[in-house]
Amino acid sequence: MDFSSTISASGLIQQFLIGLSRSTILFIVSSGLSLVLGVLRIPNVAHGSLYMLGAFLCYSIATLVGAGSTGFWVGLALAPFCVAFVSLVVERALFSRLYDREHLMLLLFTFALMLLCRDAVKMIWGSEYRSLAPPEALQGSLSAFGMMFPKYNLFLLSLGPVVAIGLWFLTHKTKIGKIARAAAVDRDMVGAVGINVSWVFASVFVIGCFLAGLGGALVAPTQNINQGMDHTLIMEAFLIVIIGGLGNVWGALLGALIFGLTDSMGILVWPQFSIVFPYAVVVIALIFRPKGLLKATW
Amino acid sequence: MVEAKGYFKIRTVALLSILLVVLAVAPSFLPRFFTYLLALALLTGLLSTSLNLALGFGGMYQFHHAVFYGIGAYGVSLMLMKTSLPPVTGFILGPILSAILALIMGIICIRLSKLYFGMLQLSLGSLVWVVIFRWYSFTGGDDGLHGVPIPSLIATVTGSYYFTLIVTVCCMAILYMIVNSPYGRILQAIRDNPERSASIGVRVRAHQLVALVIAGFFAGIAGILFVSVEGSAFPDLLSWTLSLELIIMCLFGGWFTFFGPMLGSAIMVGLRTLVGGYTEYWTLVLAIILMLLIYFLPEGVLGYFQGLGANPKNTSAEDR
Amino acid sequence: MLQVKDVQKSFGHFQAIIRANLDVRRGEIVAVIGPNGAGKSTLFKIISGHLKPDRGKILFRDRDITSLEPHQICRQGVSLSYQIVNVFSRLTVFENVQVSVLSRLGKAFDFFTPAKGLAIDETEKILDSVGLGNVGDRICGALSHGEQKVLEIAIALGSNPELLILDEPTAGMAQEETSATIKLLERLNHEGLTILFCEHDIELVFSFANRIMVMQQGVSIIQGPPHQVRENREVREAYLGGA
Repeated sequence: MDFSSTISASGLIQQFLIGLSRSTILFIVSSGLSLVLGVLRIPNVAHGSLYMLGAFLCYSIATLVGAGSTGFWVGLALAPFCVAFVSLVVERALFSRLYDREHLMLLLFTFALMLLCRDAVKMIWGSEYRSLAPPEALQGSLSAFGMMFPKYNLFLLSLGPVVAIGLWFLTHKTKIGKIARAAAVDRDMVGAVGINVSWVFASVFVIGCFLAGLGGALVAPTQNINQGMDHTLIMEAFLIVIIGGLGNVWGALLGALIFGLTDSMGILVWPQFSIVFPYAVVVIALIFRPKGLLKATW
Repeated sequence: MVEAKGYFKIRTVALLSILLVVLAVAPSFLPRFFTYLLALALLTGLLSTSLNLALGFGGMYQFHHAVFYGIGAYGVSLMLMKTSLPPVTGFILGPILSAILALIMGIICIRLSKLYFGMLQLSLGSLVWVVIFRWYSFTGGDDGLHGVPIPSLIATVTGSYYFTLIVTVCCMAILYMIVNSPYGRILQAIRDNPERSASIGVRVRAHQLVALVIAGFFAGIAGILFVSVEGSAFPDLLSWTLSLELIIMCLFGGWFTFFGPMLGSAIMVGLRTLVGGYTEYWTLVLAIILMLLIYFLPEGVLGYFQGLGANPKNTSAEDR
Repeated sequence: MLQVKDVQKSFGHFQAIIRANLDVRRGEIVAVIGPNGAGKSTLFKIISGHLKPDRGKILFRDRDITSLEPHQICRQGVSLSYQIVNVFSRLTVFENVQVSVLSRLGKAFDFFTPAKGLAIDETEKILDSVGLGNVGDRICGALSHGEQKVLEIAIALGSNPELLILDEPTAGMAQEETSATIKLLERLNHEGLTILFCEHDIELVFSFANRIMVMQQGVSIIQGPPHQVRENREVREAYLGGA
């Protein structure tokens, strides 16, 4: 319990920046989860495992390609697509047959998927920790106003808005996005006008999983890549989605900001319980607005 | 048309009594490890049966049931370790703490239904988990509490086994009565159709809330049994993974049956030990079992038990 | 016995009921008719407490029940049977009715008496009276549509109402089933039960009801005995199409 750490202005800003870049990762992952929840109405428990898979794949591709920072960029580019491909196969082969079942069954199926992923990762990568260096261009820090900003965090920060705008464009401006939003509200009607709902669901599911993989690949250089990393993340992503409003991409952004910032700022106040703050904030918000802060899609 | 007032058919009575006798004499010819395992299976069975009161009979998506289990376990452990009160108070207080927590969480969640209910409950439960996980000075954090001073009478493997057996049988009897009481009937009616239940004069929310509290209480009892068997409590008892595993146990045995979850738990506990002996990939096996269940048995299990008839209590022979 | 006074209800921008007035006297059979979307089902759900009106009052036996919850309204003696089949699908036919009786007897929080032995006579009496006595131990999901509609009525009777509200009791029934149901309702009425129902089959309504209320586009336009309603010019134009 280190209360003595003086909370200086620069420390505050730095902590704020760390919180923001953490929020970015959380947003990317949980927006995928939110998308799936909003349209398919399935709490995809395996989402965190796909995130973990993304991180491991990014690591492996990067080491395989080698050649300094090119490896990382190739890994970052390919890993999310690999995750998306895996999810496509699973969705088409297994998951799509279950859509008319009870929600609880679908939830349990994704749980099975999560268990499967966990042991698959254990088999392929073993249980030791891996780490991946960020590419040279993003190593080190920028100094400005007498403070140090890690370049990689700035890189993450710049990606957040890109993903948010991309998702907004996808859901509001493209045909598939419009169909998906309609299907979220009334899937029978969408089916009735002759659209293949099953493929709409598949694409939404795959896009959601792609985002999980992207989040995993992005987080790879910032932390240890290990087997437990799916565990806490899925819980946090769920809370973010719930607090934001199911299926609402902006809600996921808001939730991720709340979560990431309370977490990082909490460290300054009470380090031992810093992780409790975001949970507590979410719970308090939910007591007053049980269906989330922003409007849910259903 | 309706059978006599008794609870069981004769065949079921006979089977249950044989089972009870077997369980009562089991420690005298089983190796210690299997006695321990049997105790674990019994208390897990009690835990999943309590979950099923909310899930299968109440129709509420209780996604984070393990919280009440963990709180019961931590409650008794902390009482035994940090206070000098007689041990009995600890064993009584644990389940009561669970019931109080279930009441608080229930009041917050009950406004919502189905998936929303489950997700809100999940968030509240994870808050409890994270507090216990982090509060090193009080709960031991992620290490948990070890070496809980269990009263000497139930500290041995056999002692804790008999304690578990007796408590589990009593609790199962009480739960059985509740499920088959007018209260239980109306709970099932609410599960099938909340709106209609309200229009025949049922106070739906209050009824459901009571079910949540009862379920939490008995989960707390399973928690104190765990401490008496294991002598420790740790954050994994409140983990979400365990909650999901409990749901699998209920699914395995059959949601709309009384003894189903107990059967499911016994199979799962046994299988885990069996598979664990051969491979380190137990979760993989569990995943495959779960997928097979979802694809081939849920209609099968549910349909089978539904087909067995209106009375969920007339389940099959191997009730445990 | 039941008075609906200037009730208004809208869902968002859609005005389901603009102004509805209704008066049901003890011992009567009152019908509400009107085209689809006239607000009949909404009106019934407001009376039973499942929906709250935006404006207006509901009086039952001169007591204001507008703000009561559905279960409280049921205890006042108003029972609703639904348009779509709305039974307890995993319980047996017997249990469906028994649950209703148990709830009325205040046994909802009785935890330790075996439910099997409770309220048997009364439940069986109700089942026999509606003609479901021989299928009591069937799971009600396995019943035919007509039987489930009758079970609807039986569940409503389980709470021993003074006023029974039926939302299209014979919808989807075969001819014989319909006439059996009508006979059943006439007998219940004879035994003192007040009945309020809505129905599409106009001939049936005019032959069966003591008084008729006509709703159109959320407004109750007239209420009176069949001959009076039949002769009303407004009704003929609006609803009967000049028939």
